[in-house]
Amino acid sequence: MTAVLSTHGLVARYGDFQALYGVDIELHQGEAVALIGANGAGKSTLLRSIMGLLPVGREMVLLHGEPVGGTATDRMVQKGVAIVPEGRRLFTGMSVEDNLRVAIDQAARMGAKGGWTLPRLHRLFPILKEKARAPVQSLSGGQQQMVAIGRALLCQPRVLLCDEISLGLAPKVIREIYAALPEIRATGTAMIVVEQDVGLARSASDRLYCMLEGRVTLTGRSAEITREQIGKAYFGAGHAVV
Amino acid sequence: MQWFDALVQGILLGGMYAQYALGMALMFGVMRIVNISHGDLVILLSLIGISIATAWGLGPLPVLVVLVPLAVLMGWVLQKAVLNRVVGSDPLPSLIATFGLSIALQNLMLQIWSANSRSLPGHGIESQSLEIGGIYVGLLPLIVLAVATGLTWCLDLTLKRTRFGRALRAASADVEAAAMTGINPRAVYAMATAAAVGILGFAAVFQALRSTVAPADGPAQLIYAFEAVIIGGMGTVWGAFVGSMVLGISQAIGFRIDPGFGVLAGHIVFLAVLASRPQGLFGKALS
Amino acid sequence: MSAIPYAATEVPEVLVQRQTPSGRIAMALAVLAMIGVAVMPLWASTGTIRSVLVLCCYIAVAQMWNLLAGYAGLVSVGQHAFMGAAGYALFVLAQTYGVDPFVAVFLSLLVPAALAVPIYLLLHRLDGPYFSIGTWVVAEVFRLTASNLPLVNSGAGMSLRVMKDYSAFERNIAMSLLCAGMLLVTLGGSYWLLRSRFGLALIAMRDNPVAAASQGVNVVRLRFLIYVASAVGCGLVGAIYFMAQLRITPGSAFDPMWANVAIFIVMVGGIGSIEGVLIGSLIFFIADRWFGEYGATYFVVLGLMTLLVALYARTGVWGLISKRWDAPWFPIQRKLVDSYR
Repeated sequence: MTAVLSTHGLVARYGDFQALYGVDIELHQGEAVALIGANGAGKSTLLRSIMGLLPVGREMVLLHGEPVGGTATDRMVQKGVAIVPEGRRLFTGMSVEDNLRVAIDQAARMGAKGGWTLPRLHRLFPILKEKARAPVQSLSGGQQQMVAIGRALLCQPRVLLCDEISLGLAPKVIREIYAALPEIRATGTAMIVVEQDVGLARSASDRLYCMLEGRVTLTGRSAEITREQIGKAYFGAGHAVV
Repeated sequence: MQWFDALVQGILLGGMYAQYALGMALMFGVMRIVNISHGDLVILLSLIGISIATAWGLGPLPVLVVLVPLAVLMGWVLQKAVLNRVVGSDPLPSLIATFGLSIALQNLMLQIWSANSRSLPGHGIESQSLEIGGIYVGLLPLIVLAVATGLTWCLDLTLKRTRFGRALRAASADVEAAAMTGINPRAVYAMATAAAVGILGFAAVFQALRSTVAPADGPAQLIYAFEAVIIGGMGTVWGAFVGSMVLGISQAIGFRIDPGFGVLAGHIVFLAVLASRPQGLFGKALS
Repeated sequence: MSAIPYAATEVPEVLVQRQTPSGRIAMALAVLAMIGVAVMPLWASTGTIRSVLVLCCYIAVAQMWNLLAGYAGLVSVGQHAFMGAAGYALFVLAQTYGVDPFVAVFLSLLVPAALAVPIYLLLHRLDGPYFSIGTWVVAEVFRLTASNLPLVNSGAGMSLRVMKDYSAFERNIAMSLLCAGMLLVTLGGSYWLLRSRFGLALIAMRDNPVAAASQGVNVVRLRFLIYVASAVGCGLVGAIYFMAQLRITPGSAFDPMWANVAIFIVMVGGIGSIEGVLIGSLIFFIADRWFGEYGATYFVVLGLMTLLVALYARTGVWGLISKRWDAPWFPIQRKLVDSYR
């Protein structure tokens, strides 16, 4: 089975600083993969490289077998990859509904087909309907995160990248947001979830990759990997390889 | 009565300035770019309009119909060929590029049309006036004000209600996040500049009808547009409109005090606003 | 973060090397050139002296703009405001109040200095590109004020008739010395500034103002100081230039041509380097002599060249040269060299 999305020897740098040293990951149809690792391990960089936000070689990223590395971000969205970016990055000064409409507009422009509509999103996150007219910056952190997820879903992605969607949120809110992920997966969307909380990452994923200093140090089925293995891979004591 | 008259004339003059200011507010709002050749484009379009009118014997309205699409095209080409290469967080490249373009355009116009002042024949429209409440108001300035109001209203609605407007506001708020939502920033920028210069097509016709134009007049128009945008408050379309009115009124009143003081009065009001309310009359203070 | 075992190591002994062979040659040539300018009456005709004076003014104004745009990130298109202000101050002091013109040249610098402070405090509130247009408005305000101010004879302008008290030879000596002094202050001063401890801060600020601020560089204060220094430098150029012209009018004093010249020289020569200013000044000076007669066409070409440099070659001619040969004329970097060599 060919992967929906895969990276091959992915190398990325910010100017002189090399952030990724040959990363190989795979994502299959309908799968949820977690990406864990300490701050600065390169998780966000990996997602940004896939989204065309950093210059990478064409053959380093494959989407349905097609080389797409370094493709412009908007073209990646058109090809069916959407991201919930770190820090949410909502359009301040615009209402909740207008934030979501931007994605609806673009999906319509590109003729993207998928099951996500505004009513369906409102069923998933009812608060977004209630706050539709509110300026997006007036929302709480959790509500803003729901807008960010909704905006990505309305791009009708076949691959969804989620970057630290629990960061800075209360545990109750985190549960609420993670409770929505199974429904998103049910539509056949494959997901990569970057998560600091290892427990959360394991429970929300089929497989996981652990990164350290720009490399993948551990990979395997989320249910089977032991805490000791993760501990070694996470902090780099010795060379943990599965 | 003399002062009331100055006030009315100032508002009418503001209608002209609003047509310059809208495009500048739009471009800065979306791309953080100031096009230094903004005023020179007005003059270039005016001179082209005058030449077309003379060559084909056209009235002002057909000239407008020809000039606005031409202006849209010029804006689109400007963005594709020049501005898309210099847009970014560093203001220097875009300033220098458009500065160079401004010098080149001014001198090119000087060669083609010579330094003489010209104007667009209005077939009598420029001399008609109406009496409103005891003062005479020119018909043409009234039309200019009406068109400026209409343009502001249209632009405001476009930004608020249309797909293009939402894409523009999204790109303005966070260009990278906009791209993550499927927006092609360069395409949006090209449309924004096309719209901004398109509005200058209107300004060009009315400027050439109301008074005269000469190749060296561009920088003054740039400065008036800039002052209007800053006085009104950056980032809002109606702010630019009201800023234009304030600038027009300041100049008209200054002119009544002393003819040499008109333009200077506008500058002084601009500096006073900058000193007392740097966010502009309509801008929100940064918390 | 992984913990790296940290063994106490000795700090290796290094020397900081700050001069290079190319730098020594260039410095010697620069000193010779400056002496040559100072003693112009011994070897040059009045016409040549005037030409050299204009070239020196280009170099000085361009370097002042370079300091602002290339290091402080302040893109001004209105530095001619300070040239005119100092020029007018000189005329008023010398002609109206009878101050000795050669004393007045220096006294007149107080005017741009005093004006630059409130102007910067106002304009720095404007965001990025709007700052630039703001500097232009200020220059326009100065021009219109001069046109309406009876003290400076309004729009008719002023003449520096007191210079008649000096013979042509005396004037040539004075202009040559002033020229050399102007180069020393603007070029030499910039070089000294860039090699001083401010220099590191300035270069850090040029490369990345946010990072520089986080490293303890007081970006706000440094920008302010550079703005005032550049205003005084432009004032010096204005005072000397208009003293040589013997006449000043609002149109000539606040002529945007100077902004065009400075921007062309720095962008084509190479922004952020003294070498670039020298190369750009020579290119412009020669182009002006050879092609100036073509008038508008010549300016179309200058404008397009500036545009092309901004689009395709941001580092200008010096950037292209220094990419190939590492031989700076005015080295400002510090190189660590092994002392056991």
